[in-house]
Amino acid sequence: MAEAILKVDGLTKSYGGRKVVKGVSFAVRTGEVFGILGPNGAGKTTTLEMIETLRPIDAGTAVINGVNVSDNPQKVRYMIGVQTQSTAFMDKVKLTELLEQQAAAYGEKVDVMELLRDVNLENKAGSYIEDLSGGQKQRFSIAAALVHQPGIFFMDEPTTGLDPQARRNLWSLVQKINDGGKGVTIILTTHYMEEAEVLCNRVAIMDEGRIVAMDTPKELIQHLLRSGFKKAHHVEQANLEDVFIDITGKKLGN
Amino acid sequence: MPKWLFTVLVFAKISVKRYFRDRLAIFFTVAFPLIFLLVFGALSNGGGVSFHIGLINQSGSAFAQKFVKDTNASKMFKVDNSVTTLAQAKDKMSKSEIDATLVLPPSFGVPKNGVPSGQALVYYDENNYDAAQTIESVIQGELEGINTQLIKISPPLSVTSKSTNAQGLTKMDYTVSGLLGFAIIGLGIFGPVNYFPEMKKQGVLRRLHITPLRVWQFFVSSVLSNAVIGLFSIAIMLLVASVAFGFHMVGNYFELAVFIILGILSIFGIGLAIGGWAKNEQQAAPLANVIVFPMMFLSGTFFPRYAMPVWLQHVSAYLPLTPIIDGIRMIATEGDHLTQIGPQLGWVVGWTVVIYAIAFRVFRWE
Repeated sequence: MAEAILKVDGLTKSYGGRKVVKGVSFAVRTGEVFGILGPNGAGKTTTLEMIETLRPIDAGTAVINGVNVSDNPQKVRYMIGVQTQSTAFMDKVKLTELLEQQAAAYGEKVDVMELLRDVNLENKAGSYIEDLSGGQKQRFSIAAALVHQPGIFFMDEPTTGLDPQARRNLWSLVQKINDGGKGVTIILTTHYMEEAEVLCNRVAIMDEGRIVAMDTPKELIQHLLRSGFKKAHHVEQANLEDVFIDITGKKLGN
Repeated sequence: MPKWLFTVLVFAKISVKRYFRDRLAIFFTVAFPLIFLLVFGALSNGGGVSFHIGLINQSGSAFAQKFVKDTNASKMFKVDNSVTTLAQAKDKMSKSEIDATLVLPPSFGVPKNGVPSGQALVYYDENNYDAAQTIESVIQGELEGINTQLIKISPPLSVTSKSTNAQGLTKMDYTVSGLLGFAIIGLGIFGPVNYFPEMKKQGVLRRLHITPLRVWQFFVSSVLSNAVIGLFSIAIMLLVASVAFGFHMVGNYFELAVFIILGILSIFGIGLAIGGWAKNEQQAAPLANVIVFPMMFLSGTFFPRYAMPVWLQHVSAYLPLTPIIDGIRMIATEGDHLTQIGPQLGWVVGWTVVIYAIAFRVFRWE
């Protein structure tokens, strides 16, 4: 097993006496794309927020690159990138200025055009965030989260609300950033099983504040099949989404 | 350049750029105080005292006609020419539309022994007794002047008034410094109280919270951009005040700017504290109103504090905005130097320390 970039052990969080995260433990290897699946209210977002230094950790530890998150949040902030809501950028500020500001928060000066090129937005450099489409906003928020070249990147439901083309487009971007394991380590949450299957090397399934299963998607499926599971219907070789993509095409710039 | 300074400057620069793209923000910080300035300027235009009077001339004499013409031209009196009968005059006086009525009876100005003679009458309403007394003595003075010319004697005793201070304060001077205070409040409190909860709602502050940006860096950059925008707004107001309303800037511009920046820093802290604490607009707006409105009226933004009862003057002297408005007036219209306004400086600095101690304590990123 490659060296773990993130080690989480017994992470716990309560709000008003109610435990929402109940002793979550997992480790993520350098270069992995790690998915956290689960229904709403399972504790996915809270778990991520504790690791991201946004919420105080009630119990347990999270260690990134050997740095304990509770002990040294400021150091952790330099090492992690977090994709935020696409609304989290001020209006009437140009994309180039937003990236300049984001980099300045880390005390850095960066080539903003190169960052925009990486996410296919160089032709929108002078636009304001409010003039972008949903998919463009998501790509921009990824560029902003990576201005300081973090080794580990957190994405919370990156494709929620996107249409199928924009979603596939974003998947390619995620794969590009991860670069087959040689690039940035990625931890993402999602509601979409297909997304997890396409992107993730391993997934953890959370329910009611606990991790109830954790393995590669393939292994999880094999495990289910070995237990004698059979799908009720014959599986078609294509579904309606494939038809939609086939007809409308997988366009860039959405 | 140290990293923290680079961070602060980039943030401040982008905020200022954003401000100049936001027409609504420009309206509230520049146009809005300017509208108040124009209204108050128009109200107090001319500076000196004047009376609205009715003038009824029942005499056909040449002297009476000349007297009417002179009175119309006088700065002291604004003659309401719609008044032609005593009944009309009484009606207008009872509504306080005019202060008194001057009646020149038919005998007024008719030559007697070779010189014009007669008696003018001043009618007044009981509620305008003081004005009528003043008007009567003014006209008395005018007539006496004419008398001495007519009989060509020089009276043995006389009195004359002389101004002691060439740069005496007009009401406009108080109004301008008060309205600068109003501009500082608008920018420093209503600004952040509106956009901080908005930035929290959108997750802008959450995004910054994930970065290593420190709260104090964020505060310093906000203060810097606010100071730049505030000086811009105030420069425009001062320009309009001096060009259109004869505002006397006798102090040093640099010292005024330094003091105003300090004032902006101090008042902006109140906005930072409220906006930084509030989770949403519903929390921010009522608290801001509770703090701002009493301060606005008691600190002398719209009318000078000297017009208040003494006990209220004592109370309002300790509000954060009062020493700022007083200090601005002392520098701008009385020509004081920063070294001469020690008490004001002391109060502003003291309040600033208190305000920012609170702002840091209550600030929330989300």
